Amino acid sequence: MIETIRNKAKEWLEKNDGGCVIGYERASDGMTARPVFIYKPYMVGSLIFDETCVHNLSKYLLNRRGLKTAIVVKPCDSRGINLLINEHQLDRESIYVIGVVCPGMKDAHFGRIEDRPLSKCRVCLHHTPAVYDVLVGEPQPETASRDYSDVARIEGISIHERNAFWKEQFERCIRCYGCRQVCAGCYCQECFVDELDPLWVGIRSGPEDNWIWNIGRAFHLSARCIGCGECERVCPVGIPLMLANRKLEKESADLFDFEPGMDAGTAPPFATFLKEETLEKVE
Amino acid sequence: MNRIIVDNNLRSWLKELAEKYTLVAPVTSDGVTLFKHVKGSQVDSLDLQYSNTAVSPKGCFFPLSETMFSIGSDGVNVIAPVSTDREVVIFGIHPCDAAGIALIDRVFLAEPTDTHYKEKRDRTILIGLACNAPSPECFCPSVGGGPANPMYLDILLTQTSAGYIVQATTGKGKELTPAARMEEKDIPLPPPPHVTPVPLEGVSEMMRRNFDSPYWDRVADRCLHCNICSYVCPCCYCFDIRDYMGKDKIDRVRSWESCQSAGFTMIAGGHDPRPTKGARLRQRWYHKLLYFPELFGDIKCTGCGRCVRSCPVNIDIREIITDVQKLNV
Repeated sequence: MIETIRNKAKEWLEKNDGGCVIGYERASDGMTARPVFIYKPYMVGSLIFDETCVHNLSKYLLNRRGLKTAIVVKPCDSRGINLLINEHQLDRESIYVIGVVCPGMKDAHFGRIEDRPLSKCRVCLHHTPAVYDVLVGEPQPETASRDYSDVARIEGISIHERNAFWKEQFERCIRCYGCRQVCAGCYCQECFVDELDPLWVGIRSGPEDNWIWNIGRAFHLSARCIGCGECERVCPVGIPLMLANRKLEKESADLFDFEPGMDAGTAPPFATFLKEETLEKVE
Repeated sequence: MNRIIVDNNLRSWLKELAEKYTLVAPVTSDGVTLFKHVKGSQVDSLDLQYSNTAVSPKGCFFPLSETMFSIGSDGVNVIAPVSTDREVVIFGIHPCDAAGIALIDRVFLAEPTDTHYKEKRDRTILIGLACNAPSPECFCPSVGGGPANPMYLDILLTQTSAGYIVQATTGKGKELTPAARMEEKDIPLPPPPHVTPVPLEGVSEMMRRNFDSPYWDRVADRCLHCNICSYVCPCCYCFDIRDYMGKDKIDRVRSWESCQSAGFTMIAGGHDPRPTKGARLRQRWYHKLLYFPELFGDIKCTGCGRCVRSCPVNIDIREIITDVQKLNV
């Protein structure tokens, strides 16, 4: 598998002078992976692919708008590319997608690989990338049944308990914006929390401000979140952000039968308006 | 001979301290260990074997957000923030985190003194716990510290099989030491655990020579420009200030900010002296490895390993240090 990735990357770099391959290399702990940017064909030897390649690299494409770029993607990450193309952030022609059939990732953190799947992989449906120019590995059948037992658990408690649960989770938020910076769907030139005039939220941290930030973030990604789980992985204080994302994912799947990022042609429900749509009056 | 306090006595002492002081200690919930205010009833469940907390305890002195003062709706009347006279005891702080506070002291306690910081610093007592399980990413001895370094603490407790050896290093510490709960025993201080060193020789000089190196842009390729590294760091102290308009007052609030934020150096008129990712990433390393040493003589890092552990894309200060030493001028 890795030889195929390296060969494809090398071939592409030889044909695309000035291009860059974004993939994975071994991290400084000697056991997990980290993103790598490869500019020369002779450097492809450092590329790796294994069950520690947890990162979604598609966010990096936004730093290389209009530049020739090849990228190694897992199925969940590949949906980020479709999302960004659909939202007119990327130009499909400038990107060469090396899609990898995903064996599922391990819960890997710096210096430590847990013997259990990464939480997003436990509920993953698609094991073959949604977009690719070259596919590495044999296409795998999709997982048919959805598992929203995590969402059902939180739906099952009372509104007061839910409120208390999220309040406790968001209270420890340090507003580092790791969740935003890693997210392929977060690319506003000026995020609402960075705006100075009006000062919607600003840099102040506190129970209410943290609430607005975390709920605002989740809602902004409703029917857009591709489920790569990066926000939750990077959170330094372990806030279960995917639980909020998945609640909204479930709602959009139920309401609109829509899965974000599965193709580049279908806009998310909140970015479309049909003339025949009517607003139902909520009593 | 050393003075020893056994676990039971330590916990009853902490319960007593929780009555008189605001007690802050490492608490683990949802799998995350953080310094939090604890009540006497929580003392028995404190985990004293913890690895470094997810976020450093610098927030006890330099909070994530604090109201510096408020102005009444008349636009004239200045309202001072509500403060408390209650003294604070931070229990279980590791020597690296105490060293981080000492580094911030050099900046915030120098003239003109940061009064908000000093006020909290003056009414806080630090009871340290020697670190007996350093992480592989720790390197405190390389930056002048050590897992059992009593410097910068009022009291240091070191775990042995017979209980905790108590070393009081300051007047405040000696006064607080619970004489009646301790006993003298012929138990020596255990050797500190091994920590892998990071050779730092000449790093500041190499930084000076390599400001324009393309190396910084290459590292910045994978940097996400989140603020995780600066916010978990025990000695990063940048902040920014905003005025928040409420119904009957305006609060002037300062909050943590980071040199990694896109808007951090944006100035009126829209100019940004650090407009690129590379320039922003470089600033953090230059502040730690060159500017701070030039001003204060020491590298601005305590080797706690938090940034290494928390960086989502493995930007590793140990690797930066070794790479810089190998850069060609």
